[in-house]
Amino acid sequence: MPGADKGTDLSERIEAFLAELKRGGSGAGPLRGAGETARETTALLRRITAQARWSSAGDLMEIIRKEGRRMTAAQPSETTVGNMVRRVLKIIREEYARSTGSSEETDQQDSLHKLLTSGGLSDDNFRQHFPSLKANVIEAINELLTELEGTTDNIAMQALEHIHSNEVIMTIGRSRTVEAFLKDAARKRKFHVIVAECAPFCQGHEMATSLSEADIETTVIADAAIFAVMSRVNKVIIGTQTVLANGGLRAVNGTHTLALAAKHHSTPLIVCAPMFKLSPQFPNEEDTFHKFVSPHEVLPFSEGEILSKVNVHCPVFDYVPPELITLFISNIGGNAPSYIYRLVSELYHPEDHEL
Amino acid sequence: MAGRVAKQSRSGNAGRKGATDQEEEEQPLQAVLIADSFNRRFFPITKDQPRALLPLANVSMIDYTLEFLTATGVQETFVFCCWMSNKIKDHLLKSKWCRPTSPNTVHIITSDLYRSLGDVLRDVDAKALIRSDFILVYGDVVSNIDVTQAVQEHRQRRKLEKNVSVMTMIFKESSPGHKSRCGEDDIIVAMDSKSKRVLHYQKTQGLKKLQFPMNIFHSGSDEYEIQHDLLDCHISICSLQVAELFTDNFDYQTRNDFVRGLLVNEEILGNQIHMHVTKDGYGARVSNMLMYDAVSSDMVRRWVYPLTPEANFADQEGQRCTHSRHNVYRGPGVSLGHGSQMEENVLIGRDTSIGANCFISNSVIGANCSIGDNVVLDRAYIWSDVTIASNVEVHQSVICDNVVVKEGVTLKKQCVLAFNVVVGPNLTLSEGTVVSMHHPDEEEEEDEDEFLSDDAETGHSKGVMKQKAFNPSEVGAEGKGYIWRNPSLDDTEDDELAQCLWGLVLNADLESDSESEASEGSQDPGSRGMSPELDDVKVFQTEVQGTLQRGLEENIGCDNLVLEINSLKYAYNITLKEVMQILMRVVLEYPFYQQGEQLNTAQYCTLLIPLLKKWAPVFKNYVKRAQDHLDCLGSMEEFFLEHEGHWGALVKVLMNTYQLEILEEDAIMRWFSQGVTSDKGKQLRKNQGLLKFIKWLEEAEESSEED
Repeated sequence: MPGADKGTDLSERIEAFLAELKRGGSGAGPLRGAGETARETTALLRRITAQARWSSAGDLMEIIRKEGRRMTAAQPSETTVGNMVRRVLKIIREEYARSTGSSEETDQQDSLHKLLTSGGLSDDNFRQHFPSLKANVIEAINELLTELEGTTDNIAMQALEHIHSNEVIMTIGRSRTVEAFLKDAARKRKFHVIVAECAPFCQGHEMATSLSEADIETTVIADAAIFAVMSRVNKVIIGTQTVLANGGLRAVNGTHTLALAAKHHSTPLIVCAPMFKLSPQFPNEEDTFHKFVSPHEVLPFSEGEILSKVNVHCPVFDYVPPELITLFISNIGGNAPSYIYRLVSELYHPEDHEL
Repeated sequence: MAGRVAKQSRSGNAGRKGATDQEEEEQPLQAVLIADSFNRRFFPITKDQPRALLPLANVSMIDYTLEFLTATGVQETFVFCCWMSNKIKDHLLKSKWCRPTSPNTVHIITSDLYRSLGDVLRDVDAKALIRSDFILVYGDVVSNIDVTQAVQEHRQRRKLEKNVSVMTMIFKESSPGHKSRCGEDDIIVAMDSKSKRVLHYQKTQGLKKLQFPMNIFHSGSDEYEIQHDLLDCHISICSLQVAELFTDNFDYQTRNDFVRGLLVNEEILGNQIHMHVTKDGYGARVSNMLMYDAVSSDMVRRWVYPLTPEANFADQEGQRCTHSRHNVYRGPGVSLGHGSQMEENVLIGRDTSIGANCFISNSVIGANCSIGDNVVLDRAYIWSDVTIASNVEVHQSVICDNVVVKEGVTLKKQCVLAFNVVVGPNLTLSEGTVVSMHHPDEEEEEDEDEFLSDDAETGHSKGVMKQKAFNPSEVGAEGKGYIWRNPSLDDTEDDELAQCLWGLVLNADLESDSESEASEGSQDPGSRGMSPELDDVKVFQTEVQGTLQRGLEENIGCDNLVLEINSLKYAYNITLKEVMQILMRVVLEYPFYQQGEQLNTAQYCTLLIPLLKKWAPVFKNYVKRAQDHLDCLGSMEEFFLEHEGHWGALVKVLMNTYQLEILEEDAIMRWFSQGVTSDKGKQLRKNQGLLKFIKWLEEAEESSEED
């Protein structure tokens, strides 16, 4: 029974991925980068497309939506997973539309009139069977994977346009994208980087070590010194965990402080974020927005008696409102926060915002 | 089949940190999970539900343990159940662990014959279930420690020195006074700082003085650490030998027996125990109600992240809940009345409704509960399907499934309402009250067979219920249930506290009282009563007496007597020092034992001296080092202090032992000059005969020096 065997293998893989998501990030943020998570999710979705039993695009979308719901539920703070599911759903829609020959998907910005008259777009539209659909969808997902592979490089390539000689640049915590961005610029230009350590996890220390290995002049400061040092800084370049639909950020703790200080000193704040971090989520959905981890880093367990007398919390993320951000640099170029809504509508189908 | 192979090879590749080729050769990691506590700490709750299935933050405890094992990379788990094994089996078969996709294959093994950890491990050995190193845990351990590193260290050690290290114990750093430190489990550990080898392991509960045998500091290393700031996580990485050792030593019941036995016999068996201390990560065993309280509250306060209530790691339908500020967790369908406050650290299960103007803090409420108006809950642990009427107050108490609390009831601290109990209305339960549907007398009736099957159990309790009416003054006018009093049982290991549901209360006074001092060797011989195996010592003493008597009657050679005493020593886990003391005592008491207490000193001496001569080789076998001589003398002194009338015989005994070369003159002199604390001891030393003997010894020494 090779079919059944394939089925159990697939579900085993899905379970393993879910379990890893649930356990992931047991402290200092995710153990692996968001890029890796995105690639893994997409690869898994490609496998589902290839191995699951489905006869029409509607079936496939239903399967992917179901698995997507479980994946996002496993780790609500990891928005990348949900984003990739939405991207794949969008791909299926497009491929289906191409197969039917209609160019419906090209003018997706429906007019108000159309919205009113079309009524409930029932899934009937996706019921037709096309033998070539599977191959096409897999092909398109492969393209997406190639795009994901190159995101960091694409962003780093733009570094020279933004970093000039002898500038003082501040960053916070550790972001692989920012790291690559700065290192790329350091090949041609000399500049000074100030890294806020980002307590209590202090990923900033790792970042500073890595930067100084690349011969960049690096200074580590405590988070409390951000405001004091800001007057010397020419540019703030940060990474983020998620770009929200309103152009705000969900970024590592302390970023809000940094953004406010930058605003006060009118220092430009640049966010390096690949497109897969763009989420159709808005900041008001409070349940999934926050992530609280073990308070161990704040007050160690070995502290003893005092722990029964105090409440200790250790949140991981900050919300940064869009008005504090000057520019987003993504793998497809630079954008202002006010343009984010447009990117969201280009990348995701409006019906997929809720999985 | 193909799927299984694929899975194993993949999980090898998928790489827990630092997966090397070398590791791929290793067998998949296995675990032994013991889903039974083998004690009655949670009685009467565990009369209806085994401990492993009790809900902690609305999830059964065994699920935490299995999640811990799975997260740490265990691929095959053997669950051993005894008490109510059917319930555990049903639970596991329904859980995600038994789905075909589970990365951790769970095998359930049940038997009514397991009475201790020892029985289980002997069965593991007999059935040859384990192929290589395994993790040993209880079904009530809550942990998020990644023991991968410890497992690797363990394997490394075993590779370096073949089969020397048999066990690695996992400890967590936690200073004394921490609420998650179980008072009963307080331990003191001496270790070699370089090799992390455990040299001495002792439970400190109830001890005011601690003793460390001197020989542990002679083991070749130059750095030692004595630690009291460790929390025993009750997780151990064992090699296959552990099971074999349990088979060889049929008297080992608990892990404590094993560890102590192994450390004492380290020189003989050549096995070592190592330890691994983790700084981050959480690990604790729910061994009593106080720990239940502490671990639940740690869970809600997210110390065990990523095992948090909202993570729904057990993947159960409808268990999903949301987490909001101040650690308030709400399941789906929770309704909260007007003016009710959930202050902080509150977990509410699905479909629970709460009335108006309630005040809830630091509590866990299960699914499908209904709570009335004006209810105050503080540190309350309410399980599923509980009904609480209005104007109820609950402080630090546990309320089990299907309990009804009627209007105006106040539960003071540390109350327990076991399954299906009804209390009230208008009643105040005083501190520490335990109400159960089981009548305490029922306990004694079925004492002979405590492991009755479920059906027999319920039928039996129904019969009892008909016989005995509920006492309205105890449980209220409409109440149902009996106040549970702990029947005194003396077959449990630690009588005085075994029955106490909440365990010891950690109070500051108790802490300051207990002083720990590292006495080198044995400064006071009388302290042997402190060792926890007091009963064993007594039994051992009578056994030795019997052996000697048989030896006399059947004229058995001294070599054979030594052999017999040695085997008794292992059977009762007696230290060498104790053997010596007991042997001395038994021999000295022997004439009394044969002829009765009314012997006079002269008669006593005439009876004793031939015996001493006869058994001199036995003594010589045990009394070798200077310390042994002192121990022997100490025991002798103790005996004569108890028999004041026979002080005259002391000199004769000393003289004889000296002449028979059992005791050396240096040792006698040292013993004599050593400071004594008791008045009687001083008196004894002023005994005329003794003084003469000492003088004679001194002179003999001088004369020998002159020569």
